[in-house]
Amino acid sequence: MNEKPMPKYIRRSLISLSLDDPQLGEKAYASWADAIILDFVRKPGTDWQKELLARMPAAIGEAARGGAEVFVRVNSDTAAAELEATVFSGIAGVVLKGVNGAEDIAKASERLDALEESRGIAAGSLEIDVEVNTAAGVWNSLEIARASRRIGTFTANEHELCRDLGMLPEPVLEFEPLEYIKSQLITVATSVGGQAHGMSYPLSLTQKNVGEEDLRKAVRRARDTGFKGAVCPHASWIKVCNEGFRPSAEEIAYYRKVIEVFAEGLKRGMASVPIDGKMIDVPVDLRAKLYLEWANRAQARDEEKAKAHARPAS
Amino acid sequence: MTQITNPKRSWMILPAHDPEAVMRCQEFKPDVAVLDLEYSVPPKSRELARSGLAALVGKVGESQAGVFVRVKRDTRWADVRAAMYRGIKGIVFPGPEEFGEVTELGELITALEKERGLEPGATELVLMLESARGFWNAASLAKASLRVTALGVGRIDLTMQLGPVPQGEFRLYRFLMTRALIAARMLGKQPLGAYWRPGSRGGVASKESTAKAAREGRLMGFTGCFCATPEQVAAVNEGFG
Repeated sequence: MNEKPMPKYIRRSLISLSLDDPQLGEKAYASWADAIILDFVRKPGTDWQKELLARMPAAIGEAARGGAEVFVRVNSDTAAAELEATVFSGIAGVVLKGVNGAEDIAKASERLDALEESRGIAAGSLEIDVEVNTAAGVWNSLEIARASRRIGTFTANEHELCRDLGMLPEPVLEFEPLEYIKSQLITVATSVGGQAHGMSYPLSLTQKNVGEEDLRKAVRRARDTGFKGAVCPHASWIKVCNEGFRPSAEEIAYYRKVIEVFAEGLKRGMASVPIDGKMIDVPVDLRAKLYLEWANRAQARDEEKAKAHARPAS
Repeated sequence: MTQITNPKRSWMILPAHDPEAVMRCQEFKPDVAVLDLEYSVPPKSRELARSGLAALVGKVGESQAGVFVRVKRDTRWADVRAAMYRGIKGIVFPGPEEFGEVTELGELITALEKERGLEPGATELVLMLESARGFWNAASLAKASLRVTALGVGRIDLTMQLGPVPQGEFRLYRFLMTRALIAARMLGKQPLGAYWRPGSRGGVASKESTAKAAREGRLMGFTGCFCATPEQVAAVNEGFG
């Protein structure tokens, strides 16, 4: 077992906001999301690139006001032109949509190399997050994940993926039709040191604005299948995702006790120690430490956002 | 997604050694008549089935249904030779595992089309995945010949070494279905499969359980499946609607 930070990023809640939204800054600030994904529309008949070039830097600043990481969503087939118009200092990376194979990543990554150099962004710092919405994106996911060191996260756009697969995007079956696809994306993302984002079934398909208790359970299920955060279709999901995609208070208390009791056991020369009838050994102790570290990082992220909120608007 | 227009829903398996049974199928109106040289033919009748195929393919070919011949993996070369006559629409290859096997069969079909005056390139190839290797190589197999038009989930009980018929929630089956579906959709091939439940597939599936299997297959993204009895044909056509 490696001891890299787990998860790679504390990015529990993500929301998409439109560049054309006049309340972009207010919404981003009020959301408390860990990350904002900026969307733009290429208006036909306009010089959209020129317009974006002029608007992006301010929009990035607006979106970041509440302490969120900022990403911009770009289409893979027209990535070069879109990246040129949207990549500026202040973004953490891009969400690449419609990725079908490794070459899509290689091309985007090369463009980012050039843009980092010309726009004064630290070399290699921009992340590429993959939004999977085609059968090819799923089938080739491992090659995609390995195509660049920039790869950070995988997310399935489940509605579009269903359309591409000819599946009905309604939870009418007694099982989850996308179960294995989600398992694959989680495994692939983790295998390259990244992470996957997503929600548990059926909420992943219905995207409903359910009550807090139901949402809490759904987030817990998503976390326990391996997702490290979710793209939130409603602002109301954000708080629950921030609280749920991390170790719970009970887990923290339990793992503190594990570490303490195990350390005492080691002193007495024992390699496994019982707690409440369960045997604690090295892997459990290691997990306890990783979970506490995860909890601390989540706490630190919350404090960071609180600080950003305390700053007066410039 | 590449749109698949007018997918063939019901693929009725008919024992090729029994011409009467084959001809009766026309009453049930399957989208495809699959003249079988595999499991529904007893070993001693296989030679008889092969020798009668030319006439049978021609006769059924005049009806509404498209005529496909399901070959046996181990004897596929002789089976394809016996099947390639006027009226043939395609070959069903059960259990392909490697790219080269599909290319090779495609080339044999090309040679036979030429030799027997059939339309060049018109004979389709349907791949039914049945083994671990086949499912793993699904995309590569489907790319091995331009003739491949459909990719399906075949019999997996033997080749996946599942032992006794699986009971209860059969998750491996759903995993394999997902894999076949993704490869098929990625490459614009027709995905064939239904969500059959253990103990209710093949000749024993009732009309109701067939309709349910087909309906759930469709919800999962499939567009047609194989069936074995007359009442299953109607249920499959209805399920894939």
